[in-house]
Formats: sequence, structure tokens, C-alpha cells
Amino acid sequence: MLALDLLLQGVVQGAIYALIALGLTLIYGLLRILHVAHAALFTLGGYIGVIVTNETGSLPLALIVAMVSVGLLGIVIYRLAYKPLLDQSPLVALIASIGLFIAFEEVFRLVFGSYGLSFENPPLRTQVNLGGGLLISHSKLLVIGMAIIMLSILAWLSTRTRTGIAWKATVTDSQIASSFGINIERVRYLNFFIGSALAAAAGVMVALLTNLVEPTMGAVASYKALAIIVLGGLGSVRGTLVAAIAIGIVESFGTVYVGHILDRDALAFAFLVIALMIRPQGLFKAG
Amino acid sequence: MSKVTKGLASAVLGTVVLAASFSAQADSIKVGFNVPLTGFAAADGKSARIGAELAVEQVNAAGGINGKDLELVIYDDQASPKESAPLAAKLITQDGVVAGISGSYSGATRAAATIYQENATPYISAYAVHPDITRSGDYVFRTSFMGEVQGRAGAKLIGEMMGKKRVSIITLANDFGKSLEAGFKEKAAEFGIEILGEYDYSIKDREFGPIVSKVKAEAPDAIYASGYFFTAGPLVSQLRAAGVDVPVIGQEGYDGEMFIKIAGASAEGVIITTSLDRDSTDPLAQAFIQGFQKKSGYPADMVSASTHTAVLVLAEAMKQVDPSDKAALRQAIASTSINAATGNISFNKLGEVRKSVQVQVVRDGSWHHFAVISDPVLLAPPEE
Repeated sequence: MLALDLLLQGVVQGAIYALIALGLTLIYGLLRILHVAHAALFTLGGYIGVIVTNETGSLPLALIVAMVSVGLLGIVIYRLAYKPLLDQSPLVALIASIGLFIAFEEVFRLVFGSYGLSFENPPLRTQVNLGGGLLISHSKLLVIGMAIIMLSILAWLSTRTRTGIAWKATVTDSQIASSFGINIERVRYLNFFIGSALAAAAGVMVALLTNLVEPTMGAVASYKALAIIVLGGLGSVRGTLVAAIAIGIVESFGTVYVGHILDRDALAFAFLVIALMIRPQGLFKAG
Repeated sequence: MSKVTKGLASAVLGTVVLAASFSAQADSIKVGFNVPLTGFAAADGKSARIGAELAVEQVNAAGGINGKDLELVIYDDQASPKESAPLAAKLITQDGVVAGISGSYSGATRAAATIYQENATPYISAYAVHPDITRSGDYVFRTSFMGEVQGRAGAKLIGEMMGKKRVSIITLANDFGKSLEAGFKEKAAEFGIEILGEYDYSIKDREFGPIVSKVKAEAPDAIYASGYFFTAGPLVSQLRAAGVDVPVIGQEGYDGEMFIKIAGASAEGVIITTSLDRDSTDPLAQAFIQGFQKKSGYPADMVSASTHTAVLVLAEAMKQVDPSDKAALRQAIASTSINAATGNISFNKLGEVRKSVQVQVVRDGSWHHFAVISDPVLLAPPEE
């Protein structure tokens, strides 16, 4: 029973990692940019989620506001920060991204204060019995549900719609896609919108679980998400998903059984190193 | 990433110097005060500064130091040793302070303590916990408990006073959490405590799902959990959300309004070992509690009380001797015996404080009196 419970905790953590890392892998797949500032959008999502919930009392509204506004901010970041740098070496965009991330952290500190914010009435704290005495809180159920819904929508978009096919074509070869009349700019905007909105959703989910959003909450997310997309095989959506859940589960069992030797991050990176020794190309090939 | 952030922040902010008063009076006695006013520790820094300023106002209103005003020279150390060491040198050599007080964390305080010791200038750590601070030398004192001392008090509280024998330990893996754990385990058997499981977490962790599940499976009578408000708040919140209802016993890292704000209703019934009794009937403690609330706009906490106490200890010692004679001042501090907001204060040979441990509980959304532990043998800090 404990093993099942720990597995469940790992899946919850993995679902959050998946939501964060997917945006990152989508952007890397399309533009070959390591979008470190993505983690700042995750933080902003958490802040908006808490503030809107506290003001209106509605978590669904807060989730929608967070996803839409952060999605739009993602587009603005692409337009103002990355687009002018696209013909430069990817390192230039990476440095710009790190700069943006630091700037965002400080802006959060100045605007929202250094103490962090919490829900006045933390929502979804009641528990459900999954049978056999296995209890899970509604908030954790929501995290898993959100991840499944978001990823299903994403899968449907990318395989069943013209937009999705245009996206895939642009990832494969943007010049040929463009010559077939695909508006690649539009694809990129959409990509940043979806990726950023997913990060915002993850921010709201983390706020639900911890009841605390802080200016620096993106720090762990930033490097953990990078590790996950590397493990998944850079740019692979399926690989990212598998890697996120795997790291979530490794951390869950690890913190309980070997936590006094290796902390959570060390565990995740040890797992990354071992996995890459066995499969240097990552779990899945990009595509 | 946070290293990059901190590096940049210190580069920018290192040039910003916050001196409390530029119009220094010629006949005032200057005391150096390093405190994190920016960066991750800024919240505690704010409380520390207000606590120290309140003490100075009270001392000066009561006639100062034999007619002279006490004056704080305040610098922002960002809780960083890189900042605090040069600031200590500047305070001693340029600002001409006769003594210093740390309103900062362990790292910054340790670095500054070395400089103060080298310059034979008395230095009091208000609330930093690292054991090596007072080991810098005989000019360095501490007015707060060492982690080990508080850990031992926690064992007595849980095993003897509360009568809970089956305990799970959740430890913040840094110098603070580890020293608490060591003190607790040292005395656990003596108070009949059986330790069911021990779990470490890092200061970056906010999600405790797996640890909570494991602790829940152990079904302890009580949980001894170390942390600061920003880790303890989420931890307690998650324990209660998972239906773990047994008492949670924390320490002074929880102490303050932020813990209650984060944990919300889950904070009710959480018990901590700390330095300040909110319900104290002692007029000195009440003057501090009310004065702090008035000056800051929020309730007093452990950090502000400890800093307030450190200033009073120094002021009292200064009245005994010529404050410019640093060796005499050191001697006067070493033989301190005063009543302050955090209780009756005296120091042992190493410069560690001897005082009672206050046990506080969250009731109706604020900290209240639960018990006092004043067992001089149990609470004896190390002598060397």
C-alpha cells in the first residue's frame, strides 16, 4: 500500500514536471532555443493563480486567467527577445533567456514582495478514497487530471488538425513548410502560447499542493525541466512525458529511502546520468 | 541558477550602502549592525532591524549609556559572508564602532565574527545558530539557542511533557536542521522516545508528498520537524491535507506570522520551541511586544526579540565600563546577568547564552504560551 502511495506521489510530481517540460521541449524542437525563462512563466502562473483565486474565490477562473495571460506573455517574449536573435548562434538566445529569467525573479520580488503568497482558503484539500485505503487529495487528482487533459488536447491538436500538421511540418523543415504556404510565424506564436500556458497551469498546480508561491520557485523547475528534456531526447514530446514521470517516481521513492544520502535534486540528476550512459540519445528520438 | 541570481544581485546591490544615520552625533556610542535587508533573508532582516532599532530607542529614552546616545550603524549584508566580512572591517576601522551585533544568518555571522575577533571588538550574534560562531574566540557571544540545545528541549517536550513516545523526524538538511536533529536524538532515549523514521529534505523543497505518505504509514504519536516558515508552512499544510493529525513540533524557524499565513488552518495546534513568550506577563517582554507591533505593524517574532535582547545586553554592559575600552566591554558582556524580552540572560565560558526555552502553540491564528522549559542541565550549551 505504501509503495502504491509513493508511486502515486511520484506520478503527481511527474505530471507537474511534464507540464513544465513540455513547453520547453516544444520550443526547443521548433527553434533550437533553450528557453530558461520558461520557468519564470511557471512562477508567474502560480502568482496569478493565487491572486485571482483570493480575489474571486474561483479556482477555475484563476486557472484560465493564468494560462491565457501567461500564454500571451510567452508570445511577447518570443516577439521581443527571441525573434531578433534567431539568426544568431543559439548561445545568444540562451544568454538572453537566462537574463530574462533573472530579471523576472527580481520583478516578482519587487511586485509581489519577497515573502511569497498563499491561498486564503486553500481549495481542494479534501480527500478521495481510491479503494483499499489509498487516499488522494482532490488537488492531486486535479494535477493528474490536468496533465492528462492538456496532453490529450496537445496530441489531438498535433495529429488531427491542420494547425498541428503545419506545426509538425515546420519542425521538420521550416523552409519547405513555408514554401507550401504555411505561415511559420503563426506556428511559432502558437507554440509559445501553448508552451507558456502549460507552464502557467503547472504553476497553479504547484501552488495548490504547497500553498506557497515565491519569487524563486522557478529556480528548481528551470534546471529540472532541462534535465527532463535531455533525458527524453531533446525535442521529443513522448520522451519528455516518459522522462518526467520517471524522474517523479525516482524522486518519490528516493526521498523516502535514500533521502539522507542524496537529496531530491541529486537523485534526479544521478538518474539522468545513469540513463544517459545507457541511452546517450535520450529515451526517445526527437520528432 | 540561484547562484547566478545571487551573483548578479550582489554585484548590483553591493554598491548600495545603507547607513542608518549619516548625521552622527559626536557624543554618541556607535554599534555596528549587519543585517540582510535585501535578498532571500530580507523578511527576517526587516524584523531584526526593527527589533534592534526599538531597543536603541528604548535605551536612549531611558537616558542612554551614562548620558550618551546609543547609535546603530546599519549595513545590508544580504545574509552573505562575501558581504558581511568586508562590512565588519569597515565598521571597525572606518566607522569606529566599539562593538557589533549580527542581525543575520549563520554564514554571514561566522565570516563577520572572525573579523571582530581579530580586531578584539565584541560581537553578539542575535539569532544565527551555527556552533562555530562563538568558537571564533572570546569576543564573540550569542543570545539565541544553539540547535543542539533546542533539539534536547524538543525531546523533553515530546517525550516527557506531552507523553508522546513514537516519533517520526523530518529534518531540514542544513546546519540548523542537522544540529536540531542531533540534539533531539541525543536525548530521545532518555525521555523514552522511539524514533520510527528519519527523513531529510533540502531547503529548496516545498513538495513533501512522498515523506508525508511514509510518515502517515508509520502512524507516529508526534512529528518532530525542523525547518523555516517557507518549508514548514507547506510541510504542515501537506501533512494535514493528507489526514495526518498528530502533533507537529517545530522550532524557532517556524516562529513568526508567515508560518501561520502559509499553513492557514493547518497551523492550529502546531507547537514550537523558541525564545519569545507572547503571553509573558513580564513588563519588559510586554513593552517589547507592544512596542514592536506599534513600530512594525505586525506581531513580534523570535528574530526581532533576539535582536532586541542582543542590543540590550550590549547596552547594559556599556553602562558598567568605559565603552571605548573593548577588553573591559568584553568582560562586562561575559558577566552579563539581565532580564530581557527573551528571559533572564547570562553567558557561559564559550559565550553561549543560558536562558529558558519558551514553548509556544498556534491557537486561533496566533502564537500563544504552551509551556516553559528551564532545566539548566538539559539546556546547558557546550563550554568549548
